[in-house]
Amino acid sequence: MDTKVKSVCETCPQFNASGLKKLGVNTNNFDFVVALAGNPNTGKSTVFNALTGLKQHTGNWPGKTVTRAEGGFEYDHQKFKLVDLPGTYSLLSTSEDEEVARNFILFGKPTVTIIVVDASRLERNLNLVLQILEITENAVLCLNLMDEAKRNHIEINTRALARDLGIPVVPTSARFKKGIPELIQTISEIANNKIKCKPHRIKNIPKNIEKAVTKLSLEIEKEYPNIPNSRWIAFRLLEGDTQIINALKTGEFV
Amino acid sequence: MVTYNPLNALLIFLIIIVLVYLLFRPKKGWFWIVKNNYNTNEKTVVEDILKLLYHSENDGEIVTKSELTSKLNFKTNLIQNSIEKMISNHFIEVENEKIKLTNNGRAYALRIIRVHRLWEKFLAEKTGYDKLEWHERAEQKEHQLNTEEANLLAAQLGEPKFDPHGDPIPSQSGKMAILNGVPLSSLPIYTIGKIVHIEDEPEVAYKQILAENIHIGSHIKVLENNATRVTFYAEGEEFKLSPKVAENLTIDVIEKHHLDENKLVRLTNLKEQETATIIGLSKESRGESRRRLLDLGFVKGAKISIDLINPLKEPTAYLIKETSIALRNNQASNILIKKD
Amino acid sequence: MRNNNIEHILKLSKELRWEIGDDFHDSLAEGIYADAADLVSNSVTKDNSKSKLRLDTKIDKIVTSKTWGFPIMFLILAVVLWLTIIGSNYPSSLLAQVLLNDFHPLLKTFASNIGMPWWLSGFLIDGIYLAVAWVIAVMLPPMAIFFPLFTLLEDFGYLPRVAFNLDSLFKKAGAHGKQALTMSMGFGCNAAGVIATRIIDSPRERLIAIITNNFSLCNGRWPTQIVIATIFIGAAVPSSFSGLASLTAVIGIAILGIFFMFFSSWALSKTVLKGEVSTFNLELPPYRPPRFWQTIYTSIIDRTLIVLWRAVVFAAPAGAVIWLVSNIYIGNESVAAWIINSLDGFGFLLGLNGVILLAYIVAIPANEIVIPTILMLTVLVTGISGGHGAGVMFELNSANATGVILKAGGWTLLTAVNLMLFSLLHNPCSTTIYTIYKETKSLKWTTVATVFPIILGFIVTFLVAQIWRIF
Repeated sequence: MDTKVKSVCETCPQFNASGLKKLGVNTNNFDFVVALAGNPNTGKSTVFNALTGLKQHTGNWPGKTVTRAEGGFEYDHQKFKLVDLPGTYSLLSTSEDEEVARNFILFGKPTVTIIVVDASRLERNLNLVLQILEITENAVLCLNLMDEAKRNHIEINTRALARDLGIPVVPTSARFKKGIPELIQTISEIANNKIKCKPHRIKNIPKNIEKAVTKLSLEIEKEYPNIPNSRWIAFRLLEGDTQIINALKTGEFV
Repeated sequence: MVTYNPLNALLIFLIIIVLVYLLFRPKKGWFWIVKNNYNTNEKTVVEDILKLLYHSENDGEIVTKSELTSKLNFKTNLIQNSIEKMISNHFIEVENEKIKLTNNGRAYALRIIRVHRLWEKFLAEKTGYDKLEWHERAEQKEHQLNTEEANLLAAQLGEPKFDPHGDPIPSQSGKMAILNGVPLSSLPIYTIGKIVHIEDEPEVAYKQILAENIHIGSHIKVLENNATRVTFYAEGEEFKLSPKVAENLTIDVIEKHHLDENKLVRLTNLKEQETATIIGLSKESRGESRRRLLDLGFVKGAKISIDLINPLKEPTAYLIKETSIALRNNQASNILIKKD
Repeated sequence: MRNNNIEHILKLSKELRWEIGDDFHDSLAEGIYADAADLVSNSVTKDNSKSKLRLDTKIDKIVTSKTWGFPIMFLILAVVLWLTIIGSNYPSSLLAQVLLNDFHPLLKTFASNIGMPWWLSGFLIDGIYLAVAWVIAVMLPPMAIFFPLFTLLEDFGYLPRVAFNLDSLFKKAGAHGKQALTMSMGFGCNAAGVIATRIIDSPRERLIAIITNNFSLCNGRWPTQIVIATIFIGAAVPSSFSGLASLTAVIGIAILGIFFMFFSSWALSKTVLKGEVSTFNLELPPYRPPRFWQTIYTSIIDRTLIVLWRAVVFAAPAGAVIWLVSNIYIGNESVAAWIINSLDGFGFLLGLNGVILLAYIVAIPANEIVIPTILMLTVLVTGISGGHGAGVMFELNSANATGVILKAGGWTLLTAVNLMLFSLLHNPCSTTIYTIYKETKSLKWTTVATVFPIILGFIVTFLVAQIWRIF
């Protein structure tokens, strides 16, 4: 794992600029689905626009993108459909925004999930990141607003972060179009299985809960072998999430 | 328009307004009274009797038929009929006017109590109804939900053990967590303990407890207890209650305490330029509101300070995990901190 | 077999949950943040010595200060409104000249040249085209100025500070501070104001903001207020004060609207909405320089054109209906005259008349076309000279000439005052109603939002009329 991540960060192959085409809203016949998640106010829409060439506007507020916006880009002859999820602080609650985001990552099974975070507020943003990593394995952390972080004298060791999170980390300043080529490159490599992610799983959980979750997720795996997120499903079952209960009955997430 | 006269028109308008008011004013409106009467059937009476008997027996009191009629707000013959029906269904046994619950009856009563407390929990967690309305609404709902619906509700709420007042909720199989504690009014001074239950009846006393902003789950220290007043300290503030009202607070006495309760205060006590560490959220913060606070990083161990004071006093913006988030005072009072 | 296993899992999860107890969610949330803190301590270093006085903090101290907070807020609001009103004057009259005065006769000539029957050209050109053109001419310029300005402030990060400053006023009415912004947006356009309520993430407060947005006098209603105030209220005082009096009357109506907004927010939160979940949080994001041109571009595309398109879609059939009711005859009278006669009695009770009520019924798609419709209908039923024929809406360049027609229609000062009140207090336009339905996805709340203001309007105009007549 460790070496794989390094290979992305250190020896990025020459970015194939001629292979990139921004497809705007034209998302027919795509090869991969990419989800775009993140907290409000992290420049998520700027990343979306930089990737797709669209000019979607979402303001300086949480909850602007209530409906899912979609766009696309083509890289190395493969078409990627990009789905912009509502900006949320968390996926554990019951608001409409969170439900949309949670359901898309769980049931929509995107090939790759880009998680946009504000580099100067990393700790707060990791709350959402860690939850997403419980649901999906293939994710890339887009460490956005690096320019602001620099202005605030914050330094981030991206290599250590990538190692700890178990997913590639790409620093960007989407406003100035910095880091976007590297982001596209990484997305493509994850989608084509050139990078294998081994995401961090939540550790600081009281023993009694950990025991219950393990017991429950073992039972779930017995019924649905090979699902990557039995632990998340166990969390949701304990939370009493009716949607998950129904999905479990119909086998929707297999 | 032959008889039109602005005064007449106004008069007719006023009459209509008064009629609408009489029909629909809260609680005493004629429409509600008729609706309530319509909903009161034998099932309601039977279930209310069972509940009353259950609580009385738990308190070690024996109930007679005449006491039933005086305590319950139903017509005497309705109660009489219900009692006969309950005897034939083996819910109760009657010996020289004294009424006793059978095992069947106890189980039935527990089921009603389960629904009532679950519904209060539901109202607290998933709706915006005021605390004062929870009891009344649960009194209605307890007669309407069947066992299956109650189980579904419990699953959605995460199989809660306690209702928002601190009363244990019987599980599906009748298991119940135990509520330890004694009334606040009976405690000697300097006792340290935790509020584990707030009684919501009678309403007058409950209103006073709410007005004082006393929170369930708070650690308290009794400062004064005499015939006229009970004073206690909790979370950076002093609370004064009459002994009558203090009876409605149940305290679990703590012998050994590792938390220095003098340092634990509500976030509303934080001053500009001070910094603090969050100890946790009060039990009084519930449902969506509590989840939001947790999502925003108001969790145990987080550092917090005041970022901006509002020109109109409220809300205050707090700096937490590198972000400025404004909270209203009622929310801030639910966040417990330790000043650095 | 499988179902049995699933049932087993569900049963197990219930049992486990009961054993864990009520702290499950808290422990999980705290656990995740604890992990986050660990991760950050491994990879992030911050030089605290240099970051003490950020620019953000300085700006915040000023815009939320006791002395400067409110003056700055009102100054910015005044500048935005002033730019909108002054700036849209010229393009609006240009559009009106081109679309209504030049192009409309041209179309009519063209139609008669190609031998189009009168009823078809009337229906299409006098009905549909005219309504659509009118809406565009009146609506487009102010929105194209107002929305970009608003969006720039939003992108800069100032608006959350406004919500912060004003929250305690709104809290008293059971509403959210962010409603100050959706309300301001409503002064531009109620449909846009309703969409803007997405920023309020608490269900109860969002519904309150949606239902009460209609009390913000939108830019389709400002012209109505100004015309009527100029003709009737300006004329009721000595001529040296007439300008001031009519201005005061219009601003008074807008302020009355804010009062009704607070009052009904409070009433709604205490009654029908008391069961909805209510939470509060307001993040004050860092200031970021807005990207000027992109903001202009996107706010015109996203806000202005979308709202305008919806308005056009609804205006077209309304134009058709207006033309049809004036040109279809039952016996000797047009449908319009029949309806006006039957509404006259009720209209009189409200201090209005049948023409006004019919105009509000057929002009539900856009408040912009209320005055033209009233003028056309007045000419139609009184039979005086003026206008361009049955079903052709028109407006006059001089307020005096408009006044002459209205007075011929039996208007008094009371009619004018009550029309101004009714213009504030009536159902939202159909674009807004549709938007409310899209946002709430609930027939119930859409109905409440539609019916509640009009009932209020009936009551207020009724009371004013009766009391006026007593004295």
